[in-house]
Amino acid sequence: MCGIAGIARRDPDGVELDTLARMAAAIRHRGPDGYGFYTSPRVGFGHVRLSIIDLAGGAQPLTNEDGQVVVTFNGEIYNYRELMRELEALGHRFRTVSDTEVLVHGWEQWGPALLDRLIGQFAFAIHDRRNESVFLARDRFGVRPLFYAQRDQSLYFGSEIKALFASGELEPAPDPLGLDEVFTFWAARPPRTPFAGVSQLEPGCWGLWQDGTLEVRRWYHLSYPERQAEPRDALEQLDALMKSSVDLRMRADVPVGGYLSGGLDSSITCGLAATRSPYPLRTFSVTFADPRFDESRFQVEVARAIGSTHAVQPIGVGEIAAAFPDVIWHAETPLLRTAPVPMFLLAKLTRERGITVVLTGEGSDELFLGYDLFKEVAVRRFCLRQPESQRRERLFDRLYPYLGEHQRLGDFWRRFFLTASGPDDPLFSHAPRFQLTAHIKQFYGAAMREGTAGHDALAELRATLPAAFATWAPEHQAAYLEMTTLLSPYLLSSQGDRMGMAFGVEGRFPFLDHRLYEFAARLPVRSKLRGLAEKHILRRWATRVVPPTVIARHKQPYRAPDAASFFGRTAPAWVDDLLAPAAIEQAGYFAPTAVSGLVRRCRAGQTAGVRENQTLLAILSTQMWHQAFLEARRPVTPLALDTADVLLEGAAATVPSV
Amino acid sequence: MTENEILTRLRAFLQETFLYMRPDYVLSNDDSLLQKGIVDSMGVMDVLGFLEETFGVTPADDEVTEANLGTPRAIARFVAGKLRAPHTT
Repeated sequence: MCGIAGIARRDPDGVELDTLARMAAAIRHRGPDGYGFYTSPRVGFGHVRLSIIDLAGGAQPLTNEDGQVVVTFNGEIYNYRELMRELEALGHRFRTVSDTEVLVHGWEQWGPALLDRLIGQFAFAIHDRRNESVFLARDRFGVRPLFYAQRDQSLYFGSEIKALFASGELEPAPDPLGLDEVFTFWAARPPRTPFAGVSQLEPGCWGLWQDGTLEVRRWYHLSYPERQAEPRDALEQLDALMKSSVDLRMRADVPVGGYLSGGLDSSITCGLAATRSPYPLRTFSVTFADPRFDESRFQVEVARAIGSTHAVQPIGVGEIAAAFPDVIWHAETPLLRTAPVPMFLLAKLTRERGITVVLTGEGSDELFLGYDLFKEVAVRRFCLRQPESQRRERLFDRLYPYLGEHQRLGDFWRRFFLTASGPDDPLFSHAPRFQLTAHIKQFYGAAMREGTAGHDALAELRATLPAAFATWAPEHQAAYLEMTTLLSPYLLSSQGDRMGMAFGVEGRFPFLDHRLYEFAARLPVRSKLRGLAEKHILRRWATRVVPPTVIARHKQPYRAPDAASFFGRTAPAWVDDLLAPAAIEQAGYFAPTAVSGLVRRCRAGQTAGVRENQTLLAILSTQMWHQAFLEARRPVTPLALDTADVLLEGAAATVPSV
Repeated sequence: MTENEILTRLRAFLQETFLYMRPDYVLSNDDSLLQKGIVDSMGVMDVLGFLEETFGVTPADDEVTEANLGTPRAIARFVAGKLRAPHTT
């Protein structure tokens, strides 16, 4: 796992090595073990390496036999051994035992159809010198990032946006529409980003650059061809898929560890990993001083049951605010939650303990309908069929037993869900969340109001839904929206890739194996959500792997302390600076008087609700983001060319000795 | 305390707590606090706290309804009724 960057020009004007060295330097944290470059008259690639597979031979950029196909690659192709055998049988000669080389020979053999054969998480670029094209591709669910921008008939790409700006050929500017999406969905919806002119390749898409133009196409479609009934051998199928998925993700030439939250999903991934690891498994957790967020009792229980060597990262009062500036720098977007911060600190601990690859439970809730949002859909639809029934509305109280303070709110709490939108709206499932989040927009200043005038993020989302969407069950529609608006752009990015790669720690996600996704997508909703029991089939199967107390647990959403972290005794000085009326005015996103009102309430400890908490986070993180990327930009020292592992240069690229 | 006096203090509270970011919004006494997006479900907690601190009125769980607390006028009427209640019993 690594970081990639590059430039492709329409004309053979050359790509300076120094430019590539600056772009790679900006993302060096992703690959601290080595780096390399490739330049040619039109195309240049940079690569920073985190060594996981073929430690000796896996340096990049890497070419095919005759140097005509060049790749720079971030990610893992888990079935590379199988593909290598297949390609060798077709006459290809391999010089390394790395998964990277599968891409160049696979490209020669199959072209874009190569992607359908890959099991993995990846973002890569291939320069095909035979027709001077550049092929960009991203994995099915958007585990690994890939950003790009076009200017003056040149294409710039990179694993992180900061690599694009480090080229010195692009200037950062905010995109009000991208920001408006952050303040609607929690993250800009791909291909949009918070930066003007910068796009991200959508998950499951590829792009082909040739003669100065980029054509983008979708190669993988999320789909829910639901069966009438659960197959008789469903548990056996699930068993085989889970084990295969974990086995493939244990493939590495370095030890693989696991993140353990104490919930069902990570208990499964760590439990399976422990039985298959050649080393004693190392597991890692965050613990919170605040008991409302803490799950350490369950973490310890699971660690003991699976026999892992367990390490914890405690999160106290001051940690959230202290790490926040670095978290924003890595996330490259305003955030509405502090939840990425503990993941950032956990990655730091993991790296300090010598582990660079971790399995996590991400993706299970989307596949097996684990979130409360899916139950909400069922309950809201049930209630709306008989709006006068108070008995039906009481179901909401059962939905949120862990939110004790809501019990008093009966009527109001339920109304919030029932008035959000009608069941005919394709966004029915997410309307309450989107409405709650949009509260932030009331704080917009004049520039944001103007910049977003006429923009309706929800209408745009409705317009991009696939044709088959209307035929799916409401719970599956909700799952699709969750995967496309939140999983990839926020969970896998701001809480996943960026926080791990800040310290060169790679996350692997057994639940996001596309074979497992396709199995789950075909199951009837009732197999996954039975009444109000979530992840039903997974629980039935998991009795073989994890302790019974974990299986019986109600899902606890992962949360971290929010606005309160930035006020009071431990608050850093920059909070006041960023929220001062003059600073708000100067940045220009929000109205200073409105922000002052909110800050006054926060200081007095009066903000109780989710709305004000996430509004404060949105404003503070936008100010921080603006300062980091648009005002005081961090200087970049180019990586030294003479210590590069790979340096492919010139019109006729030479094959490196490996 | 009259219903009008209660209403005046309540409006000041709503303005300062929920409408500080919308200085142009003109609050009507019959505005549905929930439907107009003025108060969310957690905001109702704030309203309950205010009623308790300011008027010494603590609604019972089954009194936390839209009929009693849905609009400024409904709240004022509910509080006034509660304040009168001890004298009539």
